[in-house]
Amino acid sequence: MLINWFTVITQIINFLVLVYLLKRFLYGPIIKAMDKRQEKIDLNLEEARKKNEEAEQESELFLKKNREFDSRHEEMLSQIKKEAEARKAELIKEARSQVDADMAGWYGGIQKEKENFLQNIRRHAVKHTCAIARRAIKDLSNADLEDRITSIFIERLRNIDADEREALARTVQHPAEGIRVNSAFQIPGESAKKIVRLIQNLTTDSVVVRFEILPELICGIELKLHGRKISWNIADYLEPFEENMRATIEAKISH
Amino acid sequence: MHITPDSIILFQLGPVPLNATILFTWCIMALMTVVSWLVTRKLSSTTRLSRWQNFIEVLVISIRDEIREIGGQDPGRYLPLVGTLFLFIALSNLLSIIPGYKAPTGSLSTTTALAVCVFVAVPLYGIAQNGLSYFKQYTKPSILMLPFNIIGEVSRTIALAMRLFGNIMSGTIIAAILLSIAPLIFPIIMQALGLLIGLIQAYIFAILAMVYIAAGSRVRQNKVE
Repeated sequence: MLINWFTVITQIINFLVLVYLLKRFLYGPIIKAMDKRQEKIDLNLEEARKKNEEAEQESELFLKKNREFDSRHEEMLSQIKKEAEARKAELIKEARSQVDADMAGWYGGIQKEKENFLQNIRRHAVKHTCAIARRAIKDLSNADLEDRITSIFIERLRNIDADEREALARTVQHPAEGIRVNSAFQIPGESAKKIVRLIQNLTTDSVVVRFEILPELICGIELKLHGRKISWNIADYLEPFEENMRATIEAKISH
Repeated sequence: MHITPDSIILFQLGPVPLNATILFTWCIMALMTVVSWLVTRKLSSTTRLSRWQNFIEVLVISIRDEIREIGGQDPGRYLPLVGTLFLFIALSNLLSIIPGYKAPTGSLSTTTALAVCVFVAVPLYGIAQNGLSYFKQYTKPSILMLPFNIIGEVSRTIALAMRLFGNIMSGTIIAAILLSIAPLIFPIIMQALGLLIGLIQAYIFAILAMVYIAAGSRVRQNKVE
């Protein structure tokens, strides 16, 4: 007999025990470990997917920001350019006005210097002309320059035209500041009397004439009467010379 | 010459005779348990595995995939029975390469025991899956078919046992005969062939067991569909 029933029963028991043992020591732990690993892998994959999603979102956000930045960049750049242009124009304007102001200052200074220079020249010219005239007159006619000046002034006062005389008469009648005769030198008594007489002729009222010496007149004499003036001054002869001088300086400057 | 290792009595434990079949079965059981214990003692659930764990995992995954493919169900509850059938039969056949070893599967008692286990497991799994309505399938397509269905059930169990026994026993006997006729080279080729046949038989036994169990468990499923 090939079948030993005792062996069959023993083998059934053996097999069941083996099933239990393998279940306990092999399938259970192995499947558990595999499931755990699968879980971990799933978790990692899920995490990776999430991270990937996050990264994609971040990237999307970044790209969006980049695009926004680009558009804003252009906008800002154009605005900055505009502002820079405006600022540049402003600065140029400021600089120009500064330069204009400086130039005006310089021109003013130059003008002042010029005027001073001309004034000096004029003063010196008058002085020297006066001295030359004095000597020339002395040498030629043995006369005094001051006397000649006074007599010319008296002549001029005598020969004033009718309108002027009338205007002068009106002013003499109501002298607001008094009647003044200014001269650079002492007028001799005789000549002074003549002058007073001539002024007195203009009105019936008595007049008071004050004689004053003003060195700045240099070589002249003048009658000042409430804004009106009758004078003779050697400086008047120098007017063309001064004009000429001024023109020469202007021409030099413009060059 | 012993046709079956049942007749080789190695020890006499009182009135109980311990034959080669039982003893070698114990050896295989001990070997499998110890190896399992050693491997599963330090299991890693990370992606860094030991070679042994990797090997065992590949084995278990292959068995599970096979069961899933045949049964079309979750392999969890079938794995201990079907997996153990395959591993036990395969190992006991493969160890026949060792001189002096007698494969327990070469004993009709062992194959009968295994076939009986499958014979009992089929209705048990069927009942667990479908309840007592499992028995209705024996009356299909008609009540007249009941005896034939029962005969079919028994005969396939006997066929299961006989197939395995016949293959392994014949392999052993052919090797022994050839050894006496042509002692050089030829028995080695037959031995290698024997190993292949042993592995194939283990596969066939496990697959058929799963097919029978799946057929019993699928009745309810078909109804639901």
